Amino acid sequence: MSAGPRFAEFFSRLVPPEWSVTQLIIHSTVETVMIALAGTALAVLAALPLGLMAASNISPPWISQPTKWLLGLIRSIPLIVVAILFVTAVGLGPFPGALAVAFHSIGMLGKFYAEEFETAEHGIINAVRGTGANWAQTVRYGLLPQAAPQVVAFTVYRFEMNFRDAAVLGLVGAGGIGYYIQLYVRGFQYEKVAVLLIVIIVVVTVLDQLTFWIRRWIR
Amino acid sequence: MQPVICLRNVHVLFGTLCALDVESLEIGPGERVFLLGHSGAGKTTLSRLIKGRLHPSSGTVRVLGCDPATTDPARSRSIQRRTAMIDQEFYLVPRLSVVSNVLHGCLGRAPRWRSLLGWYTQAEWEKAEDILREVGLDGLGNRRVDTLSGGQRQRAAIARAFMQEAEIILADEPISNLDPQLAEEALDLLVECASRRGVTLVVNLHQPALAKRFASRLIGFASGKMVYDGPPDGFTDQDAEKVYRGSPRQPSPTEQGSHDPTSKDLEKKPTPPNIRLVRR
Repeated sequence: MSAGPRFAEFFSRLVPPEWSVTQLIIHSTVETVMIALAGTALAVLAALPLGLMAASNISPPWISQPTKWLLGLIRSIPLIVVAILFVTAVGLGPFPGALAVAFHSIGMLGKFYAEEFETAEHGIINAVRGTGANWAQTVRYGLLPQAAPQVVAFTVYRFEMNFRDAAVLGLVGAGGIGYYIQLYVRGFQYEKVAVLLIVIIVVVTVLDQLTFWIRRWIR
Repeated sequence: MQPVICLRNVHVLFGTLCALDVESLEIGPGERVFLLGHSGAGKTTLSRLIKGRLHPSSGTVRVLGCDPATTDPARSRSIQRRTAMIDQEFYLVPRLSVVSNVLHGCLGRAPRWRSLLGWYTQAEWEKAEDILREVGLDGLGNRRVDTLSGGQRQRAAIARAFMQEAEIILADEPISNLDPQLAEEALDLLVECASRRGVTLVVNLHQPALAKRFASRLIGFASGKMVYDGPPDGFTDQDAEKVYRGSPRQPSPTEQGSHDPTSKDLEKKPTPPNIRLVRR
């Protein structure tokens, strides 16, 4: 059998959508959003200090270099592998999913924050330090205000990506919508898959708009 | 009176180039010292030494009795607070409001945790408002710095320096980004505010005429050496000749290609005095 007719048949079986599962799917989609949100929040908490440590313009090289290696190491492990490890370690459900998302995002966000901090105007940092400010004050007033727009923009972008990642994590038992994706697709219940697709598209569009507003707000 | 700035046998080397060679220099409290010379003559190097952004290759620098480049954190904070620097590019934080930038002047005195939360006392707010009024930025306190004009930014930078309650104010070509009239006004303001507080002023300038008007003492630099040091009245045409004689120093072949990023003076294109008045 050639691919064309099979493709057509697949699409014909998506309609009419089986709306009875809508509530269940919305519930698990919300769970996926929560996994992404919790994972991103945890990652930001860890990535900000790590990013500061890895930025060579504000940290001495014997701190920044090892931190950069550590961040690279974290990034190098594929998310799905991290998820499987966490599921093995703490059991099934959304909690290991959030941890896996957080772990992977730390590597990504930390590297990005460090690079953003390194591009900050050094004259301004020096000027704030020159008022007698200590290291923390210099970072707070000289560095963070400069880096804030990019840091926020990348963080919300990472959140969007984390939602998509989290949607897949259910495949390995880490909670969220992924569980139903594999259940319905493997069970040939395409009418329910149609509902899944519609809900995901709606959620992604809403998140997209939301993050756009946040980015525009902080400039 | 005890000098506030004191240099002894100071040499600063960038590679093989001697950027500054000062046998002895003392600046007393309340003096208004203007440094003249070509770009690359050592003016900026001297202010960076006094601010502690640069270590001398040899010799000693003492500012208010301390080594300004000390690595001891508490001492360093205190000496940084007591010497303010107004840079050519102003270096205000562009995304913050004018008043927040001025309030940065308190960071050296504010308790650590309170200042990290961005809380300032009523007295500090009032002082910031007063200083903004003094420099003519009344009512602009809540504007973001990136919406200000060049002249207004200059005033905000001056306000931050005075908020610091510094005893010495260093200004590195503070007016070279302004048009002639604004430049004169800004300089007038700086000198007036400084005299009112009895602050010692050390200003690098490219305009000898303006320097003669505002200074209580002129120091002329050529090729890293002091060639004139005395009152502005005694600064004759021969002295000007000595300071501005010949072409400004070009990097020798050994130095080209290995630019020292810290030697800001050396990287700038040489410009004759009196011409750098055009607003960029």
